[in-house]
Amino acid sequence: MDNRTDSAAPSGRVDIENLAISFELPGGDTLEAVSDVDIVLEAGSFTALIGPSGCGKSTILNAVAGFVPISGGQIKIDNEPVSGINPEVGVVFQQYALFPWFTAIGNVEFALKRLQLPRAERRERALAALREVGLEDRASTYPGQLSGGMKQRVALARTFASEPKVLLMDEPFGALDAQTRIAMHELLLGVWDLHRTTVLFVTHDVDEALLLSDRAHIMSTGPGRIIESLEVTSSRPRKVDEMTEEFLTNRNKIMKLLRHHTVAES
Amino acid sequence: MTNQLNQLLKVAASLTGVVVVWWAVAISGLINPLLFPTPYTVLIAAKELYEDGILISDLGISLARASIGFVIGAILGISVGILTARTRFFAIALGPFLNLLRPIPAIALVPIAIVWFGIGEGSKYFVIAYTVFLAVWLNTHHGTAHVAQTYIRAARSLGASRLREFFEVIIPAAAPHIVVGLRLGAALAFLSLVAAELSGASAGIGFRLQDARDYIRTDRMFVGLIELGILGALLDQFFVYVGNKLVHWEQL
Ligand SMILES: Nc1ncnc2c1ncn2[C@@H]1O[C@H](COP(=O)(O)OP(=O)(O)O)[C@@H](O)[C@H]1O
Ligand SMILES: [Mg+2]
Repeated sequence: MDNRTDSAAPSGRVDIENLAISFELPGGDTLEAVSDVDIVLEAGSFTALIGPSGCGKSTILNAVAGFVPISGGQIKIDNEPVSGINPEVGVVFQQYALFPWFTAIGNVEFALKRLQLPRAERRERALAALREVGLEDRASTYPGQLSGGMKQRVALARTFASEPKVLLMDEPFGALDAQTRIAMHELLLGVWDLHRTTVLFVTHDVDEALLLSDRAHIMSTGPGRIIESLEVTSSRPRKVDEMTEEFLTNRNKIMKLLRHHTVAES
Repeated sequence: MTNQLNQLLKVAASLTGVVVVWWAVAISGLINPLLFPTPYTVLIAAKELYEDGILISDLGISLARASIGFVIGAILGISVGILTARTRFFAIALGPFLNLLRPIPAIALVPIAIVWFGIGEGSKYFVIAYTVFLAVWLNTHHGTAHVAQTYIRAARSLGASRLREFFEVIIPAAAPHIVVGLRLGAALAFLSLVAAELSGASAGIGFRLQDARDYIRTDRMFVGLIELGILGALLDQFFVYVGNKLVHWEQL
C-alpha cells in the first residue's frame, strides 16, 4: 500500500477525443446525448465536469468506465482504447452501490479478491483501506447500519483498495447534507493525496468543483458539449469560507455561463 | 421483546373472540348442531382422533408429502428461474411455456397426475411440486433478471469474474425474491396437498376431511381445517424467521 506513493512514473492519462454518444430510443429515434467532446485527463490530475442535469455528464463518465458504448471518436487510457469495463478504472456511484449483503470490510475485500492475495493479507489491506477513510471500527457493520456519508466512505475505500489508475466519481456526494459534504471533500482529498489516482469528478455544484479540482470543464445541453474549460491553480486545501480571488472569478464566470445557457435553452 | 409479547396477546385475544362467537352461534340453536359443531365437540373429536393415533399419523403423512413435493418444486424452481433469467436460450425456450402453465391450477392436474403416477405418493408429489415450482420459478426469475444495474457495474469495475459476479452479487441480490417465492410456495404446497389428497388417498389430512364427509362428521372436518390453519401459519412464520436470518439486509 505504502510503496505506491513513491512510484515514480505516473500512469492513468485519459484522452477523450471527439467523443460522440447516442442512444437508441424505444420509438426507433436516436438521441445524441454527447457530441464533440475533447477532454484530456493528465495522469494524477483532478478534473471536474460541471453542467446542468441531463447535459451528458454521466454519459461521458459511463463511457470512460466502459459501461456504455461510444458512437464516435475515441477514449484512450494510457494510449489503450477503452474496450469495456476495466478494473483499472474505478467508479464511485452516487447511490454508493455497496453490496448490502457484505459488511463494510466484506465490500472492500470484494475489490481485493482480484489481486488473489493470501486471506490474511487481503484482510489486512482491507482494514488499512477502511482506516484511510476513518472507518476501521465499523469494519463488520453492514451498509444498512451506516449513514450516507459512511456508506460513501466505505465505497471510496473499496474503490481505492483495488488501486485503479483512474477514478470516476458521478455526483458522489449529491445525496449528502452540506456539512457531511464538506467533511467528505476533505477526506477525499486526503485519500487522493495518498494514491494520486487520475480523477474525473462529475457534479452540478460549482463550489464543489472549484474546491476539489485542478481543471474544470463546463458543459451545456442539446447535445451535451463542453462550452468552457478552466484551470484552478490555487493550492489545496481550499475553503468556501476563505475564498480566493481566483475562486470568485472562476465561480462568477461559470455561474454566468450556466445561467446564460439555461436561459437560452428554456 | 415487549413488542413480541404484545403481538402474541393480540393474536390470543383475536382467537378467543372468534371461539366465543363460534360457540355462541353453535349453541344458539339457529343452526343444526350436526352441521355446525361447538368448539367443545370439535375438541372431543380431536382427542378421539389423537387417541386413535390417526391425528398424528395423518399429520406426519401430509407433512411428508408437502415437504417432499416442496423440496422438489423449490429446487427445480430456483434452478430453472436462474436459467431463464440469465441465459437467453432458456428464456426463449422455456419462458413462454412456463407462463402458459401459470394459470393452470393444481387441482386441474390431479386427474392427469393419477393417470401418470398412479394413486400412490408419486401423484401427490407431482401436484405439489408443480405448484411450488411455478411460484418459486416466477419469483426467482424476476429477482434474478432484475438485479440493479449499479451492482453489476460496480462488481465488474471492481474486477469480479463472471463466476464471482454470479455467486457474490446476482444470487444475493435475488435472494429476497427467492425467499418470497419459497414462502409463497410453502403456502401453495398446502393448498395442492389438500387438492391431491381429496381424491385418491388413504391417509392424510385431506383424506380425513373427505372421509368425514362420508359420515357427515362436521366435528372431524373442523379438526382437519384447524390443523391445516395452524400448520400453515406455523410454516409461514418459520419461513419469515429463516428468511429474515438468511437475507438479514432486507426486512421481509
Ligand atoms: N440509457 C439511456 N438511454 C436513453 N437515453 C439516455 C440514457 N442515458 C442517458 N440518456 C439521455 O442522455 C442525456 C444525458 O444524460 P446524463 O448523462 O444522465 O445527464 P447528466 O448526468 O448530465 O444529468 C439525457 O437526455 C438522458 O435522458
Ligand atoms: Mg448524472
